[in-house]
Amino acid sequence: MISRRHLLSAGAGAATMLVPGVPIARAESSQVVVGTWGGDYGQLLSDLIDKPLLAPKGVEVLQDVANADPRKTKLLAERQSRRGSMDVACLSDTDHYVVATTNVFEAVDAAKIPRLDKVFPELRTDTAIPHIYSALVILYNENQVKTPPTSWADLWDPKWRGRVGLADILYSWNTLAAALANGGGVSNLDPAEQKLMELRSLDAKIYPSNEALAAGLKSEEVWLTAMWLARGFMWKKAGIPLSHVVPKEGAASIVFEASVPRNARNKDGGFAYLDAMLDAKAQIAFADKMGYVPTVSDAVLPEDLAKQVSLSEADRARLLKPDYKYQSERSQRTLDFWNKQFKG
Amino acid sequence: MTFADTHRDTKGANVKSAPSGMALLVLPACLLVLGLLIGPMLLMFRISLNRFSPTQLMIEAFSFENYARAAADPYYQEVILTTLGMALLCTALTLIIAFPAAYWVGRLQSSWKSLVVIATLFPLVVGNVVRSAGWMALFTRDGLINAVLLKVHVISEPLTLMYTPKAVVFGIIAVVLPYMILTIASVIESIPRDLEDAAANLGASALQTFWRVILPLSAPGVAAGSILVFVLCMNTYATAVLLGGPRFKMMAPAIFDQFVRGNNWPMGAALAFMLLALTMSFTIVGSIAFARRYRVR
Repeated sequence: MISRRHLLSAGAGAATMLVPGVPIARAESSQVVVGTWGGDYGQLLSDLIDKPLLAPKGVEVLQDVANADPRKTKLLAERQSRRGSMDVACLSDTDHYVVATTNVFEAVDAAKIPRLDKVFPELRTDTAIPHIYSALVILYNENQVKTPPTSWADLWDPKWRGRVGLADILYSWNTLAAALANGGGVSNLDPAEQKLMELRSLDAKIYPSNEALAAGLKSEEVWLTAMWLARGFMWKKAGIPLSHVVPKEGAASIVFEASVPRNARNKDGGFAYLDAMLDAKAQIAFADKMGYVPTVSDAVLPEDLAKQVSLSEADRARLLKPDYKYQSERSQRTLDFWNKQFKG
Repeated sequence: MTFADTHRDTKGANVKSAPSGMALLVLPACLLVLGLLIGPMLLMFRISLNRFSPTQLMIEAFSFENYARAAADPYYQEVILTTLGMALLCTALTLIIAFPAAYWVGRLQSSWKSLVVIATLFPLVVGNVVRSAGWMALFTRDGLINAVLLKVHVISEPLTLMYTPKAVVFGIIAVVLPYMILTIASVIESIPRDLEDAAANLGASALQTFWRVILPLSAPGVAAGSILVFVLCMNTYATAVLLGGPRFKMMAPAIFDQFVRGNNWPMGAALAFMLLALTMSFTIVGSIAFARRYRVR
């Protein structure tokens, strides 16, 4: 039976939630809200980090599942708020750069994240830990493409008319691939514009998502694409007859990072979560399941797995780190060209 | 109650006005709308007057530059025309498809009527995204339609059905049809059956009865349903993205692009207000024209 006292306390609780400025009660010491992607990534975070590493310490992890774009928008919209909705925000390195320029994230250091000293120095940033990474390569159908391409420029060969498929959500990376095919680079995307228009005239197909592109590759509607090596690994595991090549112009890297927002309600919990993300065993399991490469030196992959998901020494030398500043300053032009000219 | 009584009631002539204190009953709803709709809209309007900066994202300003740029940009002109064209086409097709069904539902006297109404509403129980995903399973290259047509040798190569305007039209109509059917059906219910019998007695054919009696009397339902459907079509997002594909241009995905992919909130907000203004203009002009034609009050 509900007593009058219970009813009143429940009513007061509900009223507190509705009054602006009154913080919603949350067990700050034991709950961490992680803004992350859903699907395999969210599930693996739960299986490899939340349950085995944080639950025994009494930390309850709540996932705020969304794609990167809504999460980025949420971080920007909440930046003036005293209390944000996330304790950890997972973003790609380029998205992280854009959001970090608005001073949204706390600085990371080894005092708060003991495993930070195991991170490869080239992957470190001031406000994020690198969780996993991969590289943009050419994926091709090994049954249909008998002579594998060796460069980005090979995708423009007229013999592949109508057989090149691109993911719309990777527009900035596709633009970079086009720039590399035309003598440009991470700090010069202008040559991409001519090349993209050529690709358009070669009937390149555009898919709204990576999953739709995978379906196009599976049905052999398209045979070649620019995609993350890790995705290729997963799609191969799913039975799509794909191989990959690291183009001679170079492969752009993508790092999936995690940060603690300045307005996080449980910053200590957030940093503890970032430390757990750098756990060697968890990172190896991520590589095994999703094909992304570990970012810490003590996570050594089994040789067979390393061959499939890692780059060779020679290929690593051609790994291209994005010019974040240039890319972000040019972002509107890149998006406008992609939407208005290439897709238009 | 006689027809004459009903008629008077619907015209409101014999209905007593509510006590003045009763007006307070609308206060919670008004406060909710003010707080959750008007407030954010004013904020968005203010944002639309700011300037975008790739590094600072938004710079305080007070200019209509974003509106002018969008209005002068051939890309957005095409997006607006496509959105308007799709909304008008889908509204017209939905009306044509919905009217016979609405007539049947409105005239149904069976005890099954409530089940029929629930069945009409059933597509709305399924979310837009899930529904569109189902359409995708039908329309893809190796989807059900192509598989069946290939199996029975009607085609030798799979048809391109996905990522076409046709797919979007099918998808939108499937979403908005229940709104139109139920809105018109509720008005047809209130049209006395005697009027159709009287028309028939006076020698009117079924078509004449429809054109001279049913359609004018159901005009309020047609107008309300069309406005509702037109507004929904103008704001289509999930169906346009999932079935139209990346090359298909409508306003809602274009607004999303500016807000979320480009981080250009001022331009996104300006486009959102242009869509709002356009939708309201067409709705108001359409309502006035309809009211004049059929004397709807």
